[in-house]
Amino acid sequence: MNLSFFDQFMSPHLMGIPLTLLSLLLPTLLLPAPNNRWVTNRLSTLQLWLLNTITKQLMTPLNKKAHKWALILTSLMTMLLAINLLGLLPYTFTPTTQLSMNMALAFPLWLATLLTGLRNQPSISIGHLLPEGTPTPLIPALILIETTSLLIRPLALGVRLTANLTAGHLLIQLISTAVMALLPIMPVMSTLTAMILFLLTILEIAVAMIQAYVFVLLLTLYLQENI
Amino acid sequence: MPQLNPTPWFYTMLATWLTLSLIIQPKLLSFTSTNLPSHKAPAPTKTTPWTWPWT
Repeated sequence: MNLSFFDQFMSPHLMGIPLTLLSLLLPTLLLPAPNNRWVTNRLSTLQLWLLNTITKQLMTPLNKKAHKWALILTSLMTMLLAINLLGLLPYTFTPTTQLSMNMALAFPLWLATLLTGLRNQPSISIGHLLPEGTPTPLIPALILIETTSLLIRPLALGVRLTANLTAGHLLIQLISTAVMALLPIMPVMSTLTAMILFLLTILEIAVAMIQAYVFVLLLTLYLQENI
Repeated sequence: MPQLNPTPWFYTMLATWLTLSLIIQPKLLSFTSTNLPSHKAPAPTKTTPWTWPWT
């Protein structure tokens, strides 16, 4: 059967067995096994350094109560980083291109931040719907606008990650197809296109890391408002 | 777009949350840090100038 360009995003199946769980579990193999030693090997030390940097970076703007969220936010960041970067290898399936996975992560976490705020400090959370210094005639319109912007946050969070990664992978596939198609016809153009592909791959590595960071950063921002 | 096919959505959600909570979180918890990230101790800063000894 002929594959179209979107078939790289189909949920992976091998002879009828769904491989979705496998595609999510394999990136966790990059994290080392728990070790009782104080000083471990180089890989564990480097990963520990990365973990501490991520935790400090995410937790610095948050108050003490919000530090309870450190584990889930850091593990979310680790998972997204691993999945995004592994997806750049050829012929791998990236679960974060699936809207289902990103919405499954974004919606409950956003809802958790919202409910935390509404439960513990309802006036302050609702007060965020009206920016300071608003002229009085604008108040009703602005409250509607802010409510819409609040309710659209989980959708934006999920779709941002999905769209960025899907677009990147699609571009890589299109340009590599162009390189292969041009190779017998115009080898020089093919080489130039291959250089563009190289630059695009570097961009995609950056995008993979940045999008994972932005996802978690926005969640910490939503948490900051509400805790 | 194959991402919009709703059939695997529930299983993807389940697999994602199971991986996140049952596999990644315990792995990260087991990292024993040599220097825990902690709040900086609020020490008063020196305000009087002092000369560096050159000898």
